[in-house]
Amino acid sequence: MSALVALTLRTMSGTLRDADLLFAVLAPVGCFLGFTLALGNLIDTGGITYPQYVLPVVVVQAMLFGAMTTADRAARDRLSGFGVRLRTLPISAMVPLAARMLYCLIRAVIALAAGVVVASIFGFRMVGGLGCAVLFVLIVLAFAMAVCLGADALGSRIGSVESSSQVLLLPQLVLVLLSTGIAPAESFPAWLGPFVRYQPVSQVTETLRGLAAGHITAVGLAVTTAWCVTLLAVFGSLALRMQRRA
Amino acid sequence: MMIRQSALEAGRLLRRWRRDPIVAVQALLFPTFLLVIYKLLVGKAVLAVTGNDSLYGLVPMCAVVGAIFGTLGAGLALPAERESGLLTRLWVLPIHRASPLTGRLLAEATRTIASAVVLTTFGVALGLRFAGGWQAAVPFVLVPVLISVGVATAVIAIAVRADGRAMVTWLGAGCVVLLFFNTGVAPAEVFPSWLQPAVRLQPMSPTIEAMRGLAEGGPVLWPLLQATVWAGVLVAVFAPTAVRGYRAAAEAGCQ
Repeated sequence: MSALVALTLRTMSGTLRDADLLFAVLAPVGCFLGFTLALGNLIDTGGITYPQYVLPVVVVQAMLFGAMTTADRAARDRLSGFGVRLRTLPISAMVPLAARMLYCLIRAVIALAAGVVVASIFGFRMVGGLGCAVLFVLIVLAFAMAVCLGADALGSRIGSVESSSQVLLLPQLVLVLLSTGIAPAESFPAWLGPFVRYQPVSQVTETLRGLAAGHITAVGLAVTTAWCVTLLAVFGSLALRMQRRA
Repeated sequence: MMIRQSALEAGRLLRRWRRDPIVAVQALLFPTFLLVIYKLLVGKAVLAVTGNDSLYGLVPMCAVVGAIFGTLGAGLALPAERESGLLTRLWVLPIHRASPLTGRLLAEATRTIASAVVLTTFGVALGLRFAGGWQAAVPFVLVPVLISVGVATAVIAIAVRADGRAMVTWLGAGCVVLLFFNTGVAPAEVFPSWLQPAVRLQPMSPTIEAMRGLAEGGPVLWPLLQATVWAGVLVAVFAPTAVRGYRAAAEAGCQ
C-alpha cells in the first residue's frame, strides 16, 4: 500500500468516526430541503422551478462546508504533532497534503451525489446531455479542490482546532446567501447588485445552472474557469507553502 | 448564600465566554450577520408577500438564534471543564451543590439578554420600530430568555455526559433545521401546507411570534403562553437528567 493510499484511508476512517462523511451527505440534503420548502414560495425565480434554480448553490455550499471541516483536520494534524512525525518518514513531503486533498475529492463526490439525488426527487433534471453533465461535475470538483486547498492552508496556520472552521463560517454564509444562487439579483437591494452578481459563488452557480439546463454561454464558462483556476493557483501555492513550513 | 454563589459562577462563565471565540461568534457575530444578510435576501419578497417589514420577524429570529447557538457554543466548553477536573473541584467546595447549575443558567440568561439587546439595537438602526412605544422594548429583549433557559437545560444534560462533545455537535445540526423552518424568515403561509403545523409549533416560533407581537402591537399572550410551555417542558424533561449527569460528572473525578 502506498503512503498516499494509507494516509487517505486514515483520514477516511477518522471521518467515519467523527461523522464528517455523514455530514457530507446530510448537509446538502438539509440545505436543499430548507431552501426549497422555506424560500421556494417566497422567491420569484422567473420561468425556472425553484429546485432547478437552487440545486447548484446547494452543491457549492456543500463544497464550502467540506472546506470548513478540511481546515479543522489540517489544524488537528499539525497541532497533534502528526504532521511533524510524518516528516521524519521516508515519504515525499507532498504526500500528507495530497492525501488530505484526495479525501476532499471523495467527500465532494459523495456530497454532490447526495444533493443531486434529493433534488431529483423534487424535480431537478440534468437536461443538457452527457457533455454538460461531465462539465458540471468537473467544475464542482475543481471548485471543491480550490476551497479545500485554501482551507487546508488556513488550518495549517491557525492556533486551535475549532477556531479555524468558525473563521470560515461567516465568509461561507455571506458568499452563499448573498449570491444569485438563492435568489435572482433583482431580489436584492440595488446597491448590492454588483457584488451579488459578480462574486465567485454567483458566477459558478450560474454556470452550473446553465449546464444543468443545457445552455451555456462562452463568457460565463470563461469567467467560472478563470475563478476556479485562479483560486486553485492561489490557494494551491499557499497550501504548498504551509505544508513545507508545518 | 446560594444566590451569591450562583452569581459568582455566572460571573466566571461570562468572563470566560467573552474570550471564547466560539461563544462570541455564535452568540453575537453569527446572528448579527444572519440578520443583515436575511434582511438583504428576503426583505423585498417578504414586503411583497405580507406587506410588513421583514425585520419584525428577523430580529426576533436572530435573537433566538443567538440564544440557542450561544448555548450550544457554551455547551461545547463543558466537556473540557469536566476533563480538567473543574466540576469536581467545585463539587468538593463548601458551596451549595446546585449553585454551579443555577449559576450556569443565570449566565445563559444574561448572555441571551445581552445579545438580544445588541440585535434589537441593530434592528432599530435598520428600521425596526415599536408600535406600542419604547417601553415594549424591555419585554422584547426579555422574551428570548424563556427558550434560552429551556435549551440550556437540555444542552447541559447532554454536554456533561462522557460523550458530550459529539452529542452537542449533533444537537447543533438539529438546530440548523429549526433555523430554516420557523416563522421568522418567511410567514408560515408560504410553507407547504403539510409542514405548516410543525413550523408554527416548533420551539423557536412561539418566541418569535411573541416578540413580533410586542414590536408590531399584535397578539402577545397566546404565543407567549406557548413559549412558556415549551420552556417548561424542556426544563421539566431535562432538569433531572442535568442534575444527575452533573453529579456523575463531578464525582467521576473524585475516585
